[in-house]
Amino acid sequence: MNLGKIRVSELVVVFSIFEVGSTTLFLMGAEAKQDAWLAMVIGATVGLVLLLLHLAIHRREPQLDLFRLFRRYMGKYLGTIMNVLFVAYFTYEASRNLRDFGELTVMSLLNRTPVWIIILIVLLIISNLVRYGPEVFFLFCMILFPVMLIGYLTISILIPATGLFHFEYMLPVLEYGFMPAVTSAIPEIVSFPFGQTVLFLVFYPLAMKGRNLPRAVIITYLTSALFLTIFNQLNIFVLGTDLAPNMTLPLLETVQLIQLTQVFERTDALFTMVLYIGLGTKMAAFYLGALIGLERITKISYKKWVIPLSILLYYLAFLSPNYTHHIEIGRGIAVNKWWPIFQILLPVLLFVVMVIRRRKKA
Amino acid sequence: MSPVPFNWIKDALKPAKSHKLDALKTRQQANDKSLTTSLSHTLSFLESELGKSPDFVVRKFNEDPGLTDPVAVCYIEGLIDNVLLTDLIEAIITEKSSQSNLSLDAQETAALFKKKLPLGNIKAVKTENQLIQTILTGSAIVVIDGVDYVQAVSISGGSRRSVEEPTSQTVIRGPKEGFTEDISLNITLLRRKLPTPQFKLESHIIGEYTKTKVILAYIEGIALTEVVDEVNQRLRGIDTDSILESGYIEEFIQDGAFSPFPTILNTERPDTAAGALLDGQVVILVDGTPFVLIAPVTFFNFFQSSEDYYQRYDISTFLRIIRLMSFLVALLLPSLYIAITTFQQEILPTTLLISLSAQREGTPLPALMEALMMELMFEVIREAGVRMPRVIGPAISIVGALVIGQAAVQAGLVSGAMVIVVSFTAIANFVIPYFNMASAVRLIRFTLMILGGVLGFFGIIAGIIPILTHMVALKSFGINYMMPYAPFYKSNMKDLLIRVPWWAMKTRPNRKSSSNKYRQAAHQFPDSSVQKGNTNEPDSQE
Repeated sequence: MNLGKIRVSELVVVFSIFEVGSTTLFLMGAEAKQDAWLAMVIGATVGLVLLLLHLAIHRREPQLDLFRLFRRYMGKYLGTIMNVLFVAYFTYEASRNLRDFGELTVMSLLNRTPVWIIILIVLLIISNLVRYGPEVFFLFCMILFPVMLIGYLTISILIPATGLFHFEYMLPVLEYGFMPAVTSAIPEIVSFPFGQTVLFLVFYPLAMKGRNLPRAVIITYLTSALFLTIFNQLNIFVLGTDLAPNMTLPLLETVQLIQLTQVFERTDALFTMVLYIGLGTKMAAFYLGALIGLERITKISYKKWVIPLSILLYYLAFLSPNYTHHIEIGRGIAVNKWWPIFQILLPVLLFVVMVIRRRKKA
Repeated sequence: MSPVPFNWIKDALKPAKSHKLDALKTRQQANDKSLTTSLSHTLSFLESELGKSPDFVVRKFNEDPGLTDPVAVCYIEGLIDNVLLTDLIEAIITEKSSQSNLSLDAQETAALFKKKLPLGNIKAVKTENQLIQTILTGSAIVVIDGVDYVQAVSISGGSRRSVEEPTSQTVIRGPKEGFTEDISLNITLLRRKLPTPQFKLESHIIGEYTKTKVILAYIEGIALTEVVDEVNQRLRGIDTDSILESGYIEEFIQDGAFSPFPTILNTERPDTAAGALLDGQVVILVDGTPFVLIAPVTFFNFFQSSEDYYQRYDISTFLRIIRLMSFLVALLLPSLYIAITTFQQEILPTTLLISLSAQREGTPLPALMEALMMELMFEVIREAGVRMPRVIGPAISIVGALVIGQAAVQAGLVSGAMVIVVSFTAIANFVIPYFNMASAVRLIRFTLMILGGVLGFFGIIAGIIPILTHMVALKSFGINYMMPYAPFYKSNMKDLLIRVPWWAMKTRPNRKSSSNKYRQAAHQFPDSSVQKGNTNEPDSQE
C-alpha cells in the first residue's frame, strides 16, 4: 500500500460517491416531516464539525492513517484494541451495505431470485474490486462518477419537467417547531451519512501531496451535503409528508412516478443502477478500510485477507432475519448508540491524546 | 546457502534446462571459426552448409590464374537485386582486367576491390557463422583467394509487393499508401514523413530460424525513455524459433496476457504510425508483415482513426461519439434486449411491449437461446465470409441474408425484433476502427448475454463491473489503460471524444512527464487579415 499514489481529484470523487452512497435509499429526518431539509442541514453542520476534526487530525500527522495514529498515540495494546474495534465497525458497515444491496435488488429488479444468490454475486464482484487495492478502486470510481452524476441530474430535471414537483408539500415551515428537526438530526443524521467520513482518515494519507486536500474535501462535503438535502427533500416534494415516511424506498417510488411522452414510463429499473453505484462504492470503501486495518494490525498483506473477510461479510449480511429487522437495527439502534462511539467519541479522544502528547513533547 | 537437508528435493523439482538452447549455443560456437585464406575452402564450406540448393549461385572469375588471384561471387538468387548484381559483376570484371597488369599481392587486391566496387554497403566478414548469415539475408559475397576474409555487398532486393492502398484500415480522406512486407521500405515510408534526426531506430534480430528483423522506432525527446527501455527489454527477452508476423511479437510483449482487451495497437497505415510517434508512442516494425505495432496505447486510442485529424473537427467529434456508442451497442444491445424481454418488461412503453410480445408469441425458444443461436449463426457466416474463396462470395451473402433475415422469422424460429437486434449489433461491431478491439467485444458479448438472460439487468451489471475493474487495473507499458479518463487528465480531453481544431491542440497527450510537451505555438486561431477590412481591393499588388 503505497502512500501518495492517489490523486486528490480521485479522493474527492470517491468522497462524494461515498457520501451520497446509500443515503438516497432512505428518507432522512422523517420525524421532522416537511422540515426534513432542516434536519439535514443541522446534521450536515454537525458532520462538518466532525470532518474538520478529522482534517485537523490528518494535518498533524499527514503520513499516518487512522490505524497507525491509534497505534502511535495509544500504545501497542490499547492502540491495537482500538484498531480491532474500527475494523469491526468498518466490516459491519460493509455488511450492512451488502444486505441493502441484496434487498434493493430483490425489491426492484429480481423479485423471485433468492437473496443469498444476489448477495453472493455482489460480494464476489466487490471482493474482486478491492483485491486490486486502493489505487484501482479510486480509479474505478472515476469511471462510475459521471454515470451517477448524469443519473441524478436527469432525475432532477425530469421531476419538475413532468409536473410532479409540489412546493406546497414543504409548507408550513417549522409547523412543529425546531425540536423535531434537531432530535431527528442528532445523532441519527449525524451518524448516517455525515459522520461516516471517519473512514476517510484511512485514505487521506494515500493522497498525493502538494494539492490542498482539506480545501477540496470541505468543498466536496458541502456540495454533497447540499445535494443530499435537495434529493431528500425531493421525496417530500413529490410524495408529501404522509406517503414519504412510509415508503421502503422512497426515491425509487418517486422516480417511478416519472412518465415522459410514453417512452420513459418506468425508469426506476434504470435508476436502480445509479443506486447500485453509490451502494457498491460505499461498501467497497468500508471493505477496503477494514482490509487496510487488518494489514496494519497483523502485518499480513491485505490481499490475503480478502477471502476470510468476504466469508465473514457474507455471514454478517444475514444477521438480521428480515429486512425490517435489518432496518430497525441499522436506522434505529446503531445510529443512536453504536456509531457515535466510532464517529465522535474515539476521534475526539484521539485528537485530545494527540494534543496532550504534543504538548508534553514540547 | 543454509544447510537445509531437503535441498535435493528442491533441486529435483526445478524445471529442466532447455536443451534446445544449449544445443544451439554449441552449434554457434562450432561455426564461429574464422575463415581461411583459401577460396576453394570457403566455397566448399558454403556448399556444405547450404547443400545443393538450386538458388545458391557461385560465379568464379579465375580465367587467368597465373596473373591474378582468383575471385568468386556467390549469392542466393531471388534475395538480391538483379540490376545491382549486374553492376557488381561488371565492376569485378573490369577491376580484374585492370589489375592484371599490376602484380599485387592478395591483401592489396582485396583493398583495391573494396575501393572500386560501385556499391555502398560493403562489409568485411571474417567468421563462418557470419558468412552464412549475411548470404542468407540477401548479400552477395565477394571471395578473394589469399585473404582471410570475404566482402559482403548488400544488394538485397528481389520481387516484393509495392506500396498499395491499405485494405484493413481505409479512409476517405488521407494518404492512400500502406505498409508493405518489406521492412526497409516501411522505414522509408516513415522516414519520408519524419525527416528529423530525432527519429531513432533500434534493431533487433528475433527468431532462431526466421532471424526476423524487428525494429523499434521512436522520436527521441517525445517518447518516454522508460517506455522505450521497457519495450527494448521485452523485445530482447523474446527467445523463440520463429517470428512470422507482428502478432507473435504482440503476444510476447503485451501487458495483461490473459486480458481480452488489446494493449498494443496495430496499423497498416504509415500516417497512423507517424502520428503515434509524434504523440510519444513507440512503433515496432516487423519484417515480413505490413502490420506495425504501436505501444503504449489506451482504450480510447482504439476509437481514433487517423482520418479524424484530416477531416473537420466537428464531424470528427461526432464520428468518435458514434464509434463509442457503437462499441456500447455491440457490447450490450443483445444482452439488454434479453434482459428487458425476460425480466424488466416494465421499462418498455406499453405499445412497444405489446408488439414485442406479439412477435415473440410464436417463437419456440426463450429469448436467451434465440439470441445465442442468432449470434452464433452470424459468427459462422462472418467467418465463412473471410475464409471462403472469393468466387463464392455472392452465394454466402444470399444464404446469409436468408439465415439471419426474414426467412428465419417466417419459419417461426426467431422473432423479427431479434433479427434487428442481431444485425444492428453486427453492423455496430464493424464501426470500431481497430479489428482487435472489435474481436474483444465479440467475446465479451456472449458472456453478457448469458448473464443478462439469467439475472436480467443485475446480471449485466454483475458482468460489466468486473470488466471495468479489469480495464482500470490494466496497464500498457506503464500507462493506465483508461488513461485520460481514469486517472483524469484534463489536458488530454481535447483529443479523446472531442477532437478540437488543430490550432487549439497545443500540447501532446500528457503521459506522465515528457519534456517535449508543446506541439505547436499558441495563438494560431485562423484570424485572416482579409476579414478585418482589407477586402476592398482584392487584386491589389501584394
